[in-house]
Amino acid sequence: MGQVHQRVPLIDGAEKVGGKLQYLADMTMPGMVHGALVLSPRPHARVVSLNAAAALALPGVIGVWWHETVPQLRYNSSIWYVGQVALNDEAMFAPVVRHVGDRVAVVVARTAAIACAAARAITVEYADLPAILTADAAAANPGSVGEGEAPAFCNPIDHVKFVHGNPDAAFAAADLVVETLVSTPRSHHCAVEPHACLAYPEKGGRIAIVSPCQSVFAVQAVVAQATGIAEADLHVMKSPIGGSFGGKAEPVLDPICAFLAATLGLPVRIVLSRRETFVATRTRSAMQGRMRIAMSRSGRIMARDTVALVDVGAYSTGGNYLPGSMLQRLVRLYDVPAERYDGRAVYTNTVPSGAFRGYGSPQIHALAEISLDLAARELGIDPVTIRARNLVAPDAIEPWQGLSIGNGRGLDCLSRGAAMFDWQARWARRRDTGRFRRGIGVAAATHINGCYPGEEEATSVRMRLLPGGMVELVSALHDLGCGSDTTLAQIAAEVLGLKAHQIGITPADSDLCPYDLGTRASRMTYIVGEAVRRTALALAGEIRVRAALALNEDPGRVRLEHGLARSEEGEMSLAALADWMIGRGQTLPAASETYRASGNPSSFAAHFAEVEVDTFTGRVAVTDYLAAHDVGLAINPMLVEGQIHGGIQIGIGYALYEDVAIDPETGQMRADSFARYTLANALEMPPLKVLLVEEGEPSGPFGAKAVGEIATVPVAPAIVNAVNHALNTRLSDLPLLPERILAAL
Amino acid sequence: MKFNLTVNGRTAVVEAEPLEPLSTVLRDRLGLRGLKEGCCEGECGACTVLLDGAPVHACLTPGFQAEGRDITTIEGLGDGPGLLSGIQRAFVEVGAVQCGYCTPGMVMAAEGLLRANPDPDDAEIRHALAGNICRCTGYDSIVRAIATEAASRNRVSA
Ligand code: FES
Ligand code: FES
Repeated sequence: MGQVHQRVPLIDGAEKVGGKLQYLADMTMPGMVHGALVLSPRPHARVVSLNAAAALALPGVIGVWWHETVPQLRYNSSIWYVGQVALNDEAMFAPVVRHVGDRVAVVVARTAAIACAAARAITVEYADLPAILTADAAAANPGSVGEGEAPAFCNPIDHVKFVHGNPDAAFAAADLVVETLVSTPRSHHCAVEPHACLAYPEKGGRIAIVSPCQSVFAVQAVVAQATGIAEADLHVMKSPIGGSFGGKAEPVLDPICAFLAATLGLPVRIVLSRRETFVATRTRSAMQGRMRIAMSRSGRIMARDTVALVDVGAYSTGGNYLPGSMLQRLVRLYDVPAERYDGRAVYTNTVPSGAFRGYGSPQIHALAEISLDLAARELGIDPVTIRARNLVAPDAIEPWQGLSIGNGRGLDCLSRGAAMFDWQARWARRRDTGRFRRGIGVAAATHINGCYPGEEEATSVRMRLLPGGMVELVSALHDLGCGSDTTLAQIAAEVLGLKAHQIGITPADSDLCPYDLGTRASRMTYIVGEAVRRTALALAGEIRVRAALALNEDPGRVRLEHGLARSEEGEMSLAALADWMIGRGQTLPAASETYRASGNPSSFAAHFAEVEVDTFTGRVAVTDYLAAHDVGLAINPMLVEGQIHGGIQIGIGYALYEDVAIDPETGQMRADSFARYTLANALEMPPLKVLLVEEGEPSGPFGAKAVGEIATVPVAPAIVNAVNHALNTRLSDLPLLPERILAAL
Repeated sequence: MKFNLTVNGRTAVVEAEPLEPLSTVLRDRLGLRGLKEGCCEGECGACTVLLDGAPVHACLTPGFQAEGRDITTIEGLGDGPGLLSGIQRAFVEVGAVQCGYCTPGMVMAAEGLLRANPDPDDAEIRHALAGNICRCTGYDSIVRAIATEAASRNRVSA
């Protein structure tokens, strides 16, 4: 193969490493003005009055807007298209603030510094309302959240119940029943680029929005709903993005920038500070879970009974999908004959949650994989063995949606990974008893490939040959830094006999690109990649027909390779072909295809960690790490490894450090800066080993399937299990902060 | 206030607020937007530039304090117009770049390290990166890029 399965460097790598790529905060426009937000210091309060006199008196201040002066349209920031069913509970600025960091007002000024100073000069009078600051409190008080609220604010916002098989009989017949409680924290994406947006008036009274986003069409739909500006009057363009991980999937600033640009007739940019990005955007929902597992003596799971309570924070966003998403992932990993699941999502007066790499998967896997390890311990069975006895086989049908998991290779990940990690020998090692104690842990995981059957998984791609021999690829693509543009270019190039850099990708633009759901739900490679492959095949057919004419050959005998159309009779470059056709007044070859997926196979992984715990300080060092991943086929092994490495960094933080730490008494966020929110840095990260299992997924492009999200899913339970192995503890509250470890000793 | 700054070998007069950080002076006054800002409080390293060859967080360095010193930004690294330097090529080739937002700062931290210590081991490389956050790569490939470049510089000079 020419381009697929190759370590092709990023097609935009030189621009990035040269500092030339313009991210949103690097863009300016003539006459551009700057917005700064006023955020609530209260967890739940009515905004009684706002005094902007001092702010407006500052030279350079243009105006102040708050709930009395913006449209009071309720919206949901998580929708992907107009008409998607969602709880519309958010407003640009609402009369009631619902979490510390909720938006109260915006100031616009000539410079960002003046806008910030003016925002600080604004005084707001609040009337406090009772705040619900924990999921327990929310669960204990079902019904409307606060008096006189819109009906949307009602707990629980979602409740999913599911029963498969006969759990009661299985529990009664079990040799062992183990119950485990697991809690997972509210973590933050920490993309190094803070949230930002730019909007400006365009010809014809339209508003252009430039946004580092995950879907231009989602931005268009949300902004239309929030501002009342017609969708047709919104032109959304994707800017380069300095990391997202789901954090920029939901437009936060876009409605405000669009509204201000329309009101002022000027370009308006807002760039959040780091603290604002923590308190005023999105987080991963926190979960409290309880799992009971019924085991046979031989280590087969006979039944599970799971209760999960998810805290989605102050606004629903997509939180009402979380209990179902967690269930979807839970039932795809092991072959469990009887399952009971009860998942609820509740509002609290805390920072909203939203999409974050794995979308419920890290939470439910932490619960399931820590629980299984503790059950294995009681049975005296090796953690690898117990997983091997229960993992689903390829082509299994999962019990919730009745879908095939495809060529899922969880067992290969586990067994080949265990061999490479030398698991057996390390597991047999005598337990340390001194100050430093080593342990090893394993966790398995599964994740989806796209949105089927929840959403129509259809996407369209257009491609055409350009003068000069490049091929243009038009689809609403958003490379979040994961390298999806490069991956998709490789797929197209492979079919067309070109190199990846000869595929010109049009950045997502709502005026130019066919609709697509966006970069989310692990769908880029598997869904969009297949759409690109099919379109490239159609274009290759067109090119062959034309080249056959030019070469005086039969189309069936023309091959596309090395940038050439070739036959026995001769060859010509695609550039020469384009010139030849233009000279004859012919339209250059083009193709467009719509691909509709009708399945949702699973990706699998097994991660292996070694830790060393300092029993004096309670600190955990991850000393060795291996990630085995079932990726079908790696279109670009280098980028796949990069995705896995990055997923491990997020997962190690999830296990050991990361928590925005909302004070249950005051609702204040304690870790709202990089100084207080700890991320694993270069010193804390171990060297990372990756094992790719490439057995091919028949429905994926060249056999490929997703890796981006699953990479972070098994990390935290693998590490927690390693710590529990090192210390012979039953730790299950994440993150494993030193004080929690010391308390357990 | 007015002062002179020597950036990438060229001297310019800048007019800035008295305590304005070097990061905004370079970005907003001189239009050198290759360096990024991720926190403006000295925690993420996206704003790393070299001051007399040593990496500093430009967001914590008052602009006027850089007067009379030699500032190098990512724009000053290339081996010629439109050409990347060795360390930049190494980052791209081993996959040490993903979203790219931390990259200019990482590259400058790496360059600063290699000027001070031409033959660092992995622990020294990781230590030198401790003030730079990357949320995408897990650092593994960044460490490899720097080690690769160090080895190739040592081959050339040997
Ligand atoms: S912007 Fe300077 S350290 Fe983060
Ligand atoms: S490449 Fe995205 S933060 Fe480092």
